[in-house]
Amino acid sequence: MEAAGRAQAARDRVPRIDPYGFERPEDFDYAAYEEFFSTYLVILTRRAIKWSKLLKGGGGVQRSMTVKRYIRKGVPLEHRARVWMGVSGAQARMDRNPGYYQRLLQGERSASLEEAIRTDMNRTFPDNVRFRKDAEPCLQGPLYNVLLAYGHHNHGVGYCQGMNFIAGYLILVTKSEEEAFWLLDALVGRILPADYYSPSMLGLKTDQEVLGELVRTKLPAVAALMHSHGVLWTLVASRWFICLFVDVLPVETVLRVWDCLFSEGSKIIFRVALTLLKHHQASILEATSVPDLCEKFKEITRGRFVTECHSFMQVGVSHTGPPGDWHAHPAPPTPSAVGGATWDPPEPVRPAPWLLLGLPDIPINAGPTLSPPRCLLSRPGGVIPVCPLSLGSRPGAGCVHSSPELMTWVLHPTGPWGRGGH
Amino acid sequence: MDEDVLTTLRILIIGESGVGKSSLLLRFTDDTFDPELAATIGVDFKVKTISVDGNKAKLAIWDTAGQERFRTLTPSYYRGAQGVILVYDVTRRDTFVKLDNWLNELETYCTRNDIVNMLVGNKIDKENREVDRNEGLKFAGKHSMLFIEESAKTCDGVQCAFEELVEKIIQTPGLWKSENQNKGVKLTHREEGQGGRACGGYCSVL
Repeated sequence: MEAAGRAQAARDRVPRIDPYGFERPEDFDYAAYEEFFSTYLVILTRRAIKWSKLLKGGGGVQRSMTVKRYIRKGVPLEHRARVWMGVSGAQARMDRNPGYYQRLLQGERSASLEEAIRTDMNRTFPDNVRFRKDAEPCLQGPLYNVLLAYGHHNHGVGYCQGMNFIAGYLILVTKSEEEAFWLLDALVGRILPADYYSPSMLGLKTDQEVLGELVRTKLPAVAALMHSHGVLWTLVASRWFICLFVDVLPVETVLRVWDCLFSEGSKIIFRVALTLLKHHQASILEATSVPDLCEKFKEITRGRFVTECHSFMQVGVSHTGPPGDWHAHPAPPTPSAVGGATWDPPEPVRPAPWLLLGLPDIPINAGPTLSPPRCLLSRPGGVIPVCPLSLGSRPGAGCVHSSPELMTWVLHPTGPWGRGGH
Repeated sequence: MDEDVLTTLRILIIGESGVGKSSLLLRFTDDTFDPELAATIGVDFKVKTISVDGNKAKLAIWDTAGQERFRTLTPSYYRGAQGVILVYDVTRRDTFVKLDNWLNELETYCTRNDIVNMLVGNKIDKENREVDRNEGLKFAGKHSMLFIEESAKTCDGVQCAFEELVEKIIQTPGLWKSENQNKGVKLTHREEGQGGRACGGYCSVL
C-alpha cells in the first residue's frame, strides 16, 4: 500500500507531459522515474556548470578531447543545439551558405515530394502536443519546411519515412528550422553511411548485416536463436537504425545517444544496439517463437535500464559501468592523443568505403576511423564484412581482414566488445 | 494453448503509405482504432489466433511501411507468406492506381504461386470516396484476388477480411499442410453463394 501511495504521489508531482512536449505513456513508471531523476538532476547540474565554463565567451564549439569527454557525459539541453551544430560541422556549413535554406524553400516544388511529406505530417509524433494540428505554435509547419528543403537539397534521398522523426527531434532541440536543416544534412549527408535513406537503402541494409555479424561474434547465442527462428535483423532492428532510436528509446536517452552520434559518428548506433542486446541477453534467450522474439526486442527498449540514460550511456558508450559487467576502459588511442594533449579529428564523416560485389559501384568516400568498414563480400547464405578498400592514411586505421577484427575495430579497441564478448 | 491450433500462417499487409495498413491490423488484433497512429517505419509484427469454421489458425502478421523504398527491406518477408492483404484507400485514387506496382512486387518476390491475395479497400466510413466499389471488385477479379471493402475506424468488414483470407488459405492445403501433416482439417458444410454467412455481403471469392 505504501508503494502504491508513493507511486500516486510521484504521479502527482511529475508532469504528464515531458519537457519536450511528449505525453508520458499510460504505463509510465512515475515512481521509478522520479527516483532516477532526483539523482540525474544532480549530475545535470554539475555538468551544466562545467559546460557553462567550457563555453564561456560564446563562439563555436571546437572539437577537442575535452569536448568529446564532456559530450559523452551529456550535453545540457540549453547548450545542445550549439554543441551539435559545432561538432557536426553543421554550423560551419550554415555559415558558409547564408540564405541557402530559404532559397531551397522558395524554389520550384516537387509535387510528389510534397505529397509524401504531407502524408506523414499527422503521423509524426501524435503523442507530442507541439506537433498536433491545433497546437499554438504548431511544429508541423517547421517540420514540413525542413523536410521539403532537405528533399530539394538532396535529390538522391528526397524524403524517406523516418526522417520526419529525426527532423522532429532536431526542431525540438534547436527550435530553429535552419539549424535543424543543417543538422539533418550533417546526419544524412556525412555522419551516416551513404544510401541510408536513398531509394536503394543499401547503406541501411549493409548496417543490418554488420549488426548481424557483430552479434554473431559477440553474442553467438542470440545470433543462433535469431537464425533458428529465421528472424532477420531488419524485422527487429531496422527501426532502430532508420529512426536513430527516436520513438524506440526514451526521449532523454535518445538525445544522449545523439550527443555522441554527432560527435563520434555512426559507430554509436552499433554500440547502443549491442548494449541493449547484451544487457538483455538472458531475457532474449527465453524466447521460444518468432512472436516471442519480436516482443523481446520491443521489451528491451523499455524499462529502467534505458530510462536511466546516464548510466546507460556510461555502459554503452564510455564503458565505465559497474565492474564485473564491463571492463574498465582507457581512452581510445587516437593518433594525436598518443602524441599530444589535443584530439582534433575531422568532422565525423561517411563510413569507410565498402564494396558490394556483384552490385553497381558505390561512390568511394575514404573516411577516417570513425566508422566501421562496410565492405561486403557476397557468400552463400549472406554477406560478410571484409576488408575495406581504403581507410585513409591515419595511423592505426589499417585494413581489417576478418570479422572479429572488424568487430573490435568498430566497437572500441579496448572496450568490452574488444575482449571476446560475454 | 497452442495445442489445438491447426497451423501458423504468415500474412503480409502491403499497400501505399497512409492507406491504413497499421490501423487495419490494430483493429483486427486489439480491436482499437487510433486516428493518429504514428507512421510505420521498417516492419512491424503482430500475432493473433483466429478460428474459422472450427479450425484454429495462428496468424503471424507482418505490417510493412508503405513508402516505395522500404520495399527493398521486405522482400524476404514475401518468402513463405501464405496470404497477402493489399490495401488501398477508397478516398485516394492514387493508392488504387498504384496497385499494379504492388502486384509486380508480389510476382517478383513471392515464392509460391498459390499464395492467397486479398484486395482491401479501406476507409469506407469517409464521405469523399474516389474509388467505386465496382472498380475494386473488377480489379480483384482480373487478378484473382479476394476482395472486401472495410473501415478500420468503424470496424466494418475487418474481421471478415481476415476470416475470408484464412478460410481460403486453409482450403488450399498445399500452402500449409507440409508443416502440419498430423493435424486434420475440420471440414464443415457451407452453402454456396452468399446466404447464411455474415461475410457474404462483403467478400467475393473470385
